[in-house]
Amino acid sequence: MSLYESKTQQPPKNGLLLLQGLILLLFCIFALRFWYLQIHKGEYFSEQARNNQLRQDNLYAPRGLIRDRNGELLAVNEPAYALGIVREDCKDLDATLKTVSEWTGVDLPKLKKVFKKSRRRVKPFEPLILVPNLTFEQVAVIEANSLYWPGLEVVVRPRRKYLQGALLSHVLGYVSEVDEAELENDSELAVGDYVGKQGLEYVLEKRFRGVKGRRQSEVDATGRRLKQRILNPPKAGEDIDLSIDLGLQELGGKFLEGKAGAVVVMNPDNGQILAFVSAPSYDNNSFTDGLSQKEWVALRDDPRTPLQNRVIQSVYPPGSVFKMTVAGAGLHYGVVKTQDIVYCPGHMQLGKYVFRCWKKGGHGETDLEKSLVESCDVYYYKLGKRLGVDRMSEYAFAAGYGKPTGIALPHEKSGLIPTRKWKKRRYGEIWHPGENLNFSIGQGYTLVTPLQVARSISSLINGGRLLRPQLLAGEPAEEQGVLPINDRQREIIRKAMIKTVNGSHGTARRLRMKGVVIGGKTGTAQVVKLTDEIKKMKDEEIPYKYRDHAWMASFAEKGTERYVVVCMVEHGLHGSSGAGPVVKAIYNYIFKEKKEKK
Amino acid sequence: MSPIDRRLLIHMNWFLLGLAAMLFFVGVLNLYSASGFRLEQGMSVSSFYQKQLVWGLMGFAGMITFMLFDYRHLRTIAWPLFWVTVILLACVPVIGKTIYGARRWLDLGFFNFQPSEMAKITILVIGAKILSRSSDPLNIKNLAYVVGVGLIPAGMVISQPDLGSGLNILLILGGMILYRGLTPKLFKTLAVVGPCLIPLGWLFMHDYQKRRVISFMNPASDPLGAGYHIIQSEIAIGSGRVWGKGFLGGTQSQLRFLPEKHTDFAIAVFGEEWGFAGAMALLSLFCVFLYQMVVTAREAKDLFGSYLAAGVFFYFFWQILINMGMVLGLMPVVGIPLPFISYGGSGTVVNLCLVGLVLNVSMRRYVFKQG
Repeated sequence: MSLYESKTQQPPKNGLLLLQGLILLLFCIFALRFWYLQIHKGEYFSEQARNNQLRQDNLYAPRGLIRDRNGELLAVNEPAYALGIVREDCKDLDATLKTVSEWTGVDLPKLKKVFKKSRRRVKPFEPLILVPNLTFEQVAVIEANSLYWPGLEVVVRPRRKYLQGALLSHVLGYVSEVDEAELENDSELAVGDYVGKQGLEYVLEKRFRGVKGRRQSEVDATGRRLKQRILNPPKAGEDIDLSIDLGLQELGGKFLEGKAGAVVVMNPDNGQILAFVSAPSYDNNSFTDGLSQKEWVALRDDPRTPLQNRVIQSVYPPGSVFKMTVAGAGLHYGVVKTQDIVYCPGHMQLGKYVFRCWKKGGHGETDLEKSLVESCDVYYYKLGKRLGVDRMSEYAFAAGYGKPTGIALPHEKSGLIPTRKWKKRRYGEIWHPGENLNFSIGQGYTLVTPLQVARSISSLINGGRLLRPQLLAGEPAEEQGVLPINDRQREIIRKAMIKTVNGSHGTARRLRMKGVVIGGKTGTAQVVKLTDEIKKMKDEEIPYKYRDHAWMASFAEKGTERYVVVCMVEHGLHGSSGAGPVVKAIYNYIFKEKKEKK
Repeated sequence: MSPIDRRLLIHMNWFLLGLAAMLFFVGVLNLYSASGFRLEQGMSVSSFYQKQLVWGLMGFAGMITFMLFDYRHLRTIAWPLFWVTVILLACVPVIGKTIYGARRWLDLGFFNFQPSEMAKITILVIGAKILSRSSDPLNIKNLAYVVGVGLIPAGMVISQPDLGSGLNILLILGGMILYRGLTPKLFKTLAVVGPCLIPLGWLFMHDYQKRRVISFMNPASDPLGAGYHIIQSEIAIGSGRVWGKGFLGGTQSQLRFLPEKHTDFAIAVFGEEWGFAGAMALLSLFCVFLYQMVVTAREAKDLFGSYLAAGVFFYFFWQILINMGMVLGLMPVVGIPLPFISYGGSGTVVNLCLVGLVLNVSMRRYVFKQG
């Protein structure tokens, strides 16, 4: 009995074996798993752990400053607050974006679009810029609530600020957020970076940009920075001084306010540009944070074309300011001598066409000097007829027309100097003799930019050198060509220009100034072939778009100081009255006000 | 015989007691590290380890309580204990306290009592009573009876909802049934039918539970959601490598990448700081601890004691298996703590009480040997 009982009381043998087997199994499974995680893949997970806790991000480098020739600041950097999102830290993306939308007023679909577009380019642990520009109020709200919204981060970075705004837009250009194509081509760039898109900002992008720094932070799981170390400090971009004189620029800008046109002030001896005004203009600051589609379309389609850089991108018929070139051609090819007299009855007949001089009564007996001083058209008709298109265009090219000046700004136009070949290609027609006459007075097909005129005038007084216009201070003069005429021939034209200002019949008498040698030439360029009806109208009655363009090309010399000032006012009617006052004001500023200041 | 009979102390499984104490103190040490996290300056240590010490003291008191009486009395009160437990479980939905969206606690004024913890002890006792009637393999009738009894508290716990504890109850009972053994025919039948029931379980799962299963299958599908826990715990453990990062040196846990690091994921902190060497030591400690229960089950004076020891064995075995399986990325995330290592008040007390129960069985084996 007791034996039986003790037998039945035995614990189940198989059960005990099962328990021991389970212990063995437990040990084997987990020992193997620990071995796999900690030894086999230990290195991998160590790397993961480091990535988990250490993060690197960029420190933005401030863009180089831009100053004028006297050290006045033109472009600076100010701190801008952007809202970034670190995807890895963000627990609930949809809710977070919704909250961001509420805080900033940016509508949700747009935020989602920005997020989707950038997510491929931004690492999950780096801030992706959702809203580039926050107001102080928004920053305050976000900072106060950031604890509840892990992943949101206010990113401080330098942002471009143009102190004079529209006044220098056509020189400085603007920066804006980098686009897809730029990212593809430039490995230094990252999403959200600002890059130069226009003007000097575009051309000198690499010099302005600087080098981003790198910061390593130890973060906890909510993305809070615990410790940080600067791996590379950011290197600021290069500061650049321009040849621009802010005072002159302002003067030009003020004059052209409400008008359309261009003012260029150039140092003829080294090609440095002192003023570069194009009106109307636009505020380049508005591009920094991006224009809305609506704003962009409004700006692009503005009938006053404020985006057009009138100094280098607008081409105009030069009118009478082209007469110096034709006169130069006449002298160069020996077609005229200074003392040759042409009789101007106020018109000239060519075949069945009559070509009129601007002065109805005519200029009577006219020599080369008088033809420039009084701007006699008939003289040039005859000269043009004798020169012919080939020689005139050859000389015009040599004087720097018909090709870009090479100034360091994007999208410069070359203008147009017609040739037989061009005419054939463009219109499929031969060159008509009458067109020589139009060519000779700067009408017809000929188109020039104000900067080309300034350079051409410079070459008349600087020893015949065609210099590349420079915008950067201290840049050495760069000779691009030589005017074909000799010193004596240039002097003839120069003298005539001086007499245009100082002579009793000169068309640019309003430029006269005591103690300064000033030469000039006015130009009135027809925009359309005028009908008799318009011809009869008084100036004020002519519709704006039919009014002539007004040119004033001039130079001034005092001692060793020399300046070339060219002004062009669209539909300004007459060269002297339309474009003269600003030129006069500029010389006043240079030779009087500035001297007094010093 | 007096409760402090010298022979009782001589026969007690001191080895088991020592192992339990060691595991508990390893747990407290680990909690000290897990509950501290580095701020920008210095360390801040929250008081989890202190609380755990207090719970431990209560647990050891409970352990002694569970050793004082002769475990055979449990056999007589098995059914009353069962019905009291069922009634308490029935009270939970009515007057229970809701914490974290689940109604699991009864507020007893001085502390929150979890009837589901009590149900685990009850199932041990009732299971041992029913199964120890004989040591022949179970036939289908007996199996149905014992499973039917177990399903009552288990179903009530699962509906709280507390899937983890409910499954735990069933698993403990299942383990004890396997310990007893099934008739070969029944075993074969269950081996075929059992797996077919798994898809059925999916239908009864909550959405969050389904999500956990899915994210277990593919943690990368949702690296910041449910998969986050698994990925982070694997990183923490794996980065510990052979020798670990040293006590308090775990970057993943200290920098708070690791979630639930003081409760369910405590072993990840341990693995990170002590490395493969430490993990092997802890794993061995657990295995020897379990083995000591097997020793007690073998040497028990009667079948009831043996089944009690086996039940406690399974109570610990499943928790260790499930918790470590989850933390090591072998199983879906289920909120089951690791005995002694994870922080938890009632858990610690129950763990130590159950160790006390096994000690109780081991103490009183001499009667059999003498006889």
